[in-house]
Amino acid sequence: MRRYVRPMIPVIILYLTLLLVGLSSESRWQPVAFIMFYIALGQALNMFLGMTGYVDFGYVAFLALGSYGMALAFSSFSSLGLWVILLGFVLAIIMSSLLSLAVGAIALRLRGAYFAIATIGVNEGFRYLVEGVRLWGGSEGIIISSTMKDIFGSDLSNYISTFVADIMVFVIGFIAAFLTVYIINSRIGYALMAVREDEDAARVMGVFATKYKIMAFAMSAIFAGLIGASAWTLKLTYVFPEDVFNITYTVEAIAIVMLGGAGTLTGPIMGGLIYGFLRYYLSTVLPGFQLLVVAPLLVLIVTIFPEGVMGYVKRKVRNTRFEKYII
Amino acid sequence: MPLLELDGVSKRFGGLIAVNDVSLKIEKGESFGIVGPNGSGKTTLFNLISGIYRPDSGRIFFDGQEITELPPYRRAQLGIGRSFQIPRPFKGATVRENVAVGALFGTLSGKIDVDSALEIADHYIEVVGLHEKRNDEAERLTAVEKKLLELARALAMKPKLLLLDEVVAGMNPKDVDRVVDLIKRVKEEEEIAVVAMVEHVIPAVMKFAERIMVMHEGRKMVEGPTLEVLMMDEVAMVYFGESKLPGE
Repeated sequence: MRRYVRPMIPVIILYLTLLLVGLSSESRWQPVAFIMFYIALGQALNMFLGMTGYVDFGYVAFLALGSYGMALAFSSFSSLGLWVILLGFVLAIIMSSLLSLAVGAIALRLRGAYFAIATIGVNEGFRYLVEGVRLWGGSEGIIISSTMKDIFGSDLSNYISTFVADIMVFVIGFIAAFLTVYIINSRIGYALMAVREDEDAARVMGVFATKYKIMAFAMSAIFAGLIGASAWTLKLTYVFPEDVFNITYTVEAIAIVMLGGAGTLTGPIMGGLIYGFLRYYLSTVLPGFQLLVVAPLLVLIVTIFPEGVMGYVKRKVRNTRFEKYII
Repeated sequence: MPLLELDGVSKRFGGLIAVNDVSLKIEKGESFGIVGPNGSGKTTLFNLISGIYRPDSGRIFFDGQEITELPPYRRAQLGIGRSFQIPRPFKGATVRENVAVGALFGTLSGKIDVDSALEIADHYIEVVGLHEKRNDEAERLTAVEKKLLELARALAMKPKLLLLDEVVAGMNPKDVDRVVDLIKRVKEEEEIAVVAMVEHVIPAVMKFAERIMVMHEGRKMVEGPTLEVLMMDEVAMVYFGESKLPGE
């Protein structure tokens, strides 16, 4: 039990601090929610990229499908009342996991870079499918704001999109952290570590590599879908294909995981915190130039800490009494 | 019934026939050596047995069932463990975690939890003498320690057959003796059949193997009791016949 609890202590401290800062004044909630989105995104991708070392350039497609899942629940099952949100999350899980199984079953047979190349097409392909065959509203997307007002009334709708959706992202991130601790300490974690470090050696030691890769991929996809459903659909109350299939989010997610420390528990949290903070405050201080500053900063940090900030810390605390807390 | 049986196994890489019609039987608990110069097909043979390659022709049987088409992980779970010539530790993981992977996914796959796997790991880390380094990252080990780690990992799989690829190559004579004694001891205790492949360290083979096979250009040249085979003229030819430097 202690090996699950102790590593969660820094996670809980970070999350509580963020939550308290966010709740301390109304003007701080939006920046905290912005940062929280990147933390959760990093944690979701870390389950795959961090655990297996495989890069998925089509990752944002899972967020997109999750956000469509939520939007479809509102547009087709509005008679369910409050339950429609639950159904939205269920649809998000189903749609993102189905896509991950379809892509994974084919592409995860490929190794490393070949997998990365195969996934580039997935996101763009899906976007053109949605727009081209006018699936789910085509390029006009799905707008759920009026349906939301009909179901919940305008006060509650407002409350959901300005507060509940953000809290959901918080909760999703926290569950992702807990699951990550569990995986790292389990059989699955050992299998994924072996695959990440040397896939051939893992195979001759009895590890069914493809199975564990698909498991990690599906779990990661499900969390991405949940984030898309709450941080995009519930919060913004609309889904447009050009927004949700935007490859920028994939690149940002990869940057966050690498920055914080791939495969570590606290890495994506620190990565999301640093990245989200920089992006938000630079966009207020130097509007329009934030990426010009963020990019070289990232290069600098990654040069100093090639294994990520928390990867570096983890190495430093090895064989000290803090070792059990930073994994 | 032999533990491992190869029946006319061949493997081609383009125009090169790396392993050519090799048949072989290994009994339970046997110590077997495979000797041959560089490029004679030893490693390819190991890769065929552990499942990294599928043979182009021929069949492979292990412990009463045909495994010719089985993927490597299935063969490992049935009881085929191996080490690599160039050690391939999981670098970022600790020695203990490395060995635990063997316990978790070898013949005990699915039957034990992580805690028991770590106990088994500790046992074999002790056996190979790496206990002081058990919490160190594998990449920080010396070359000899990495070889010992490979051995511990393979033993933790609780295999019935252990394939050792040049396990003593590059070690000084003292380490060679220590490792050979170690393998002999574990093998007796756990009744593992060991197939060790050796290019140069012939004394180690003499000390260890009851029978050996000499490979040359992908073919089985000769097979028999160790000393008898090593005394044969044609075996000496394989090693020394084409050498330009006397005494090499």
